[in-house]
Amino acid sequence: MYRRSFKDTRSSLGSPNPNFSKPMVALRFLRALSLVRRSGLGACSPSYRARGIRRAAYACMAASAGPRRAWSRALLRKIRRRPGRGLRRPRAVIWRHRPVGGGDRLEVALRRLVPGGGCMEYCRLLEEAADYVKCLAMQVRLMQTIVDSASHV
Amino acid sequence: MESAEAPQISGVRSGSSGTCAAEIAESLRFEEEIQSLIVHPNFEASNGSSFTALLGLSGNQAAELLHEHGLTAAASSPAGAAEMWRLRLGGDRAAGELRLPLGCSPTFPSDAAIVESAARFSVFASEESPTSSSGGGISPRLKVEQLDPDSPPSVPVLPSPKTKRSPAKRKGTCEKSKARGTAKKIKRTEEKKDPTKATATEEDTADEKLPYVHVRARRGQATDSHSLAERARREKINARMKLLQELVPGCSKITGTALVLDEIINHVQSLQRQVEFLSMRLAAVNPCIDLSFLDHILSTQCEPGAGAANGREALAWNPAPWSPDSAIAGEDVRRLLLPRQYQVWHLDLLGPQQSSMAWERDATPHHNALPFPGTGTGTSLFGYDSTNSGNLSSDSVALNSELTNPIAKRLLEFY
Repeated sequence: MYRRSFKDTRSSLGSPNPNFSKPMVALRFLRALSLVRRSGLGACSPSYRARGIRRAAYACMAASAGPRRAWSRALLRKIRRRPGRGLRRPRAVIWRHRPVGGGDRLEVALRRLVPGGGCMEYCRLLEEAADYVKCLAMQVRLMQTIVDSASHV
Repeated sequence: MESAEAPQISGVRSGSSGTCAAEIAESLRFEEEIQSLIVHPNFEASNGSSFTALLGLSGNQAAELLHEHGLTAAASSPAGAAEMWRLRLGGDRAAGELRLPLGCSPTFPSDAAIVESAARFSVFASEESPTSSSGGGISPRLKVEQLDPDSPPSVPVLPSPKTKRSPAKRKGTCEKSKARGTAKKIKRTEEKKDPTKATATEEDTADEKLPYVHVRARRGQATDSHSLAERARREKINARMKLLQELVPGCSKITGTALVLDEIINHVQSLQRQVEFLSMRLAAVNPCIDLSFLDHILSTQCEPGAGAANGREALAWNPAPWSPDSAIAGEDVRRLLLPRQYQVWHLDLLGPQQSSMAWERDATPHHNALPFPGTGTGTSLFGYDSTNSGNLSSDSVALNSELTNPIAKRLLEFY
């Protein structure tokens, strides 16, 4: 049920290129929230809803970051893929440029954290990490604002 | 590549017997070319035991190197080279005064190989000229080799053709550029080599297929393509790391890559945890949220005058979802693709003049002027970063209804 909301969010509102489009993120997120709420009010348990909201948050973040970012593509792919895809069929995707070595544990940890960080070169990884951190911070602030305003009223 | 050259050179070498005088003359000529190719006259402490470091030393120091290590291994020719250096020295400085820079000392043992090969340049210079002049037309593919001390047989052979070739290519000037293209190409084909460990390098530059790329090597640093590529890559990585440091709060004072990375990782983890936590809170509070204002706005019918301005506003929007061929030009296309209610949304968001004025009048006092680069007055519910405000009149009803909504208010503060 949540998939539908994400798809709606994605297809309708397009994706502007500049990254500093806070209004876009807010827009999407609120819309996604409303959709989440509309689809099965309550949805059995708060934890289930929480997971859905989290996915909505990531989806909005990725959608507003733009398709130019590797992490946003990977993130959306991950979000879309999970429900209903239990078996892992062999991917047709060419696993391009798998980075050599994995000795540096910090680098490995960073790769695991940043979505899509498995097959990037190191400097690309750093670039994507910077963008990801920026977007994450923005998303966190947005959600904090919403929660604060909702709980104060 | 290198192996292809090697047999050719070895064949040449076998035929060389060369008298001392001829060597010196050739080497003098050669030396001048080399000198002209040396980039920086000011000498920084050479950390690399490179040939350029060798040449970068003002000639006396190089001679000192040659002299100290007693390159009598190949009898006459190194001595001839030493002579050559000496001869040049005569004009420059006091002949007897030879002092080595401090930075060079640890690298002497490896320098022996370099100097030996350097000595052989003079020998091969004459033989090489006919071949290399034609070789100037060879593929300017960058020949990278590393003069390892543990591969001496190939070492002396390789530098010579390259050195001879380079003057023909470069016409005696080195320009500064970043050989990014070749750097990447070479990076991929060769494995990673630490340029500081490079025992000797050539005074070669990174060249692309066409045109020639002139790279300026920093003084005392290696100039072969590997090192250049490495250096470029390292600089890129350092730049990105600095960017990351600025993003993550509290990272600017930390020195050391590992700690910075650690801090970044911690920060990302904490942000992700925060998202999780906030989503839980949102889920808990969700039934109480009144998101009806969104629906109200989204379902508002757009005005007839709205369509005209949509093209302009839609500049900030890419209505088609992430199609790779997102070259959707044309305002009418955008207008078609964009569903009507979102067009209204755009209009509302843009904040035309009068509604923005009304907005500001009603706005709460702690909501200060938001940056809105199009109009001086600034604000609508979601200020655009880069749009031009259309001069149209939309209904301010929708906007006013948002004012009452607390979330909207807070979102204003958010921006």
